[in-house]
Amino acid sequence: MATEELPPHLEEMRTRVVVQSKSVDHAAGMDVADAFQSLGVDSSFSMEKFRNNFRIHVISSTEEELVFDMIGVDAPIANAFRRILIAEAPTMAIEKVFITNNTSILQDEVLAHRLGLIPLRVDPRKFDLREEGDEPTDRNTLIFKLHVQCERNPNGEESGTKPYSNDDVLSQHLLWEPQGNQAEVLALDPPEPVHPDILIAKLRPGQEIDVECHCEKGIGKTHAKWSPVATAAYRLLPAIDIVEEVVGDEARELVAKCPMKVFDIEDIGEGRERAVVVRPRDCSVCRECIRDAKFSRKVKVTRIRNHFIFSIESTGALSPKVLFGEAVKVLIDKCLRIKGQVEDIIAKR
Amino acid sequence: LKMNAPDQSEMFVLPEGKKKVEVEEDKKVPNACKYTIYLEDHTLGNILRMQLLRDNAVLFAGYRMPHPLENKMEVKVQTDGSKTPSEAVGGAVSCLKEEFSSLGQNFKRELESFHKRGGQLQQISMQQDIFKTLY
Repeated sequence: MATEELPPHLEEMRTRVVVQSKSVDHAAGMDVADAFQSLGVDSSFSMEKFRNNFRIHVISSTEEELVFDMIGVDAPIANAFRRILIAEAPTMAIEKVFITNNTSILQDEVLAHRLGLIPLRVDPRKFDLREEGDEPTDRNTLIFKLHVQCERNPNGEESGTKPYSNDDVLSQHLLWEPQGNQAEVLALDPPEPVHPDILIAKLRPGQEIDVECHCEKGIGKTHAKWSPVATAAYRLLPAIDIVEEVVGDEARELVAKCPMKVFDIEDIGEGRERAVVVRPRDCSVCRECIRDAKFSRKVKVTRIRNHFIFSIESTGALSPKVLFGEAVKVLIDKCLRIKGQVEDIIAKR
Repeated sequence: LKMNAPDQSEMFVLPEGKKKVEVEEDKKVPNACKYTIYLEDHTLGNILRMQLLRDNAVLFAGYRMPHPLENKMEVKVQTDGSKTPSEAVGGAVSCLKEEFSSLGQNFKRELESFHKRGGQLQQISMQQDIFKTLY
C-alpha cells in the first residue's frame, strides 16, 4: 500500500485512463518501482500487495462463453493471457487428408482446407504432439473417414422433393475410426465435430467424396485452425463521473444521448431532476456524452487501468474455463523454462 | 516445399547446441546485460519487462523483438549494483511464476464459488464490491 496518499490528480493519473473527445490520456501504466518516489510513495512490487489487491469475479459462465473480471493485474499480463488463448493453447484439428476419390466441384486442396477448419470436440490433453518424422500412432493421431456419394432419386420430382439424395456433405458425415486403444480410452466422449451441420461441400448425382482425414495436435501460432477460441478479448472497466451537476432539461438530454443507457434521472426533490450514472459497465466508450461542449466539462469518461473484463468464447473443443486454466499453465511453463536457464547463468558467475 | 518460408519446426524447437537464454555483458555501462531469449515473443517479453521495472534495484529494463520473422527476443537490464542483472531477471521470473500460480488458484476458487451460488452475480452488490477494491 502507498505509504503516503497521492494528491488526487496524481492518483487519477496512476489509476485511470482518461478518455477525452479527441484523445486518450495516461494510457501507459505507471507501475514502476520509482514512480512518485520523490513524493515518498513506494510502488515497488511485493507478492503480499499483489495477493491483497488481486480479485477475480466471474460474471457469466456457459459451455461456450466465459465472462469474468480480473482486478489488480496490469495490461501486459492481461495481454499475455489473451495472446496465449488465441495462439498457444493446443487443440486437435484435421491436418492431413488422404484423398481416394474426389469427383466433386471442389478442388482437392480447397476440400482439405475446409476440412482442417472444422472444430472437433476432442480433449487435446489426451494426445501428444506429433513432430516431423514421427510415426503416426494412436497417441498422436485421430482418424476420421468421410465417404459420401450423391445419387439420383427418380421419384423425387413426382413427390415434390429434390431429384437427388446425399447432395449436401455435412460435418456429421465425418466418422471417427478408433485406432489402437483409442476405443477404450475415448469411450466416454468419442471424438466428433462440434457442430454436425457444417456444410463441407455440395454434390450432384454421380459425384463422390471419399477421403481419410488425420487429425493432429497443434497451436494457433502454426495455423489458425488450431486456435481453441472463437476469440478471447478484454476491455477495461469504464468509470464515468459527473463532476458538475447536470440538472433539468440538460439531464434529460444527457440521458437520451447515451446509446447504452448508462445515465438515468434521479429526483432530488422540489421537482428538480439530475442525471446520475447507473450502468457504467455497459458503456461502450462511444464518447457521445462528451462530444458536446456543454457536457464535456461536466462529464468525465475514464477507464480503470487495472480492471479487465475478459471474455473468452470457445469453439467447442474445450470449455472456456478449462481453457483459461490451460493458458495459466502455459504461462507458468514459460516462466519456469526461463528461470532454469537464468539460474544456470547466475551459477556460472 | 515452399521457397522462402522458414521451417515450421523453427518456431518451436531450439536448434542443436543453442541455449534458450544467452547473455551478453554490456562493456560500456556498469551492471548491464543483454539477454537474448529464443522462441519467445511479446507474450513473455512485455511481462518480463514490466516485472523488472517494479524492482527497486533496476535502473533500466527494456525488451524488443529485433525482427518479426525471427522468433527471438532481447531484454536489456541495468541495475544499480545492489543486485547483478541476472539476479534481477531471475527474481522477476520467480515473482511472475508465483503471481500466475496464485492467479490460477484464485480463478479456480472463484469459479467454484460462482457455481455454488447457482451461477448468479448480484448486479448491485458487484458494483459496490468492485469500487471497494480499487487500490
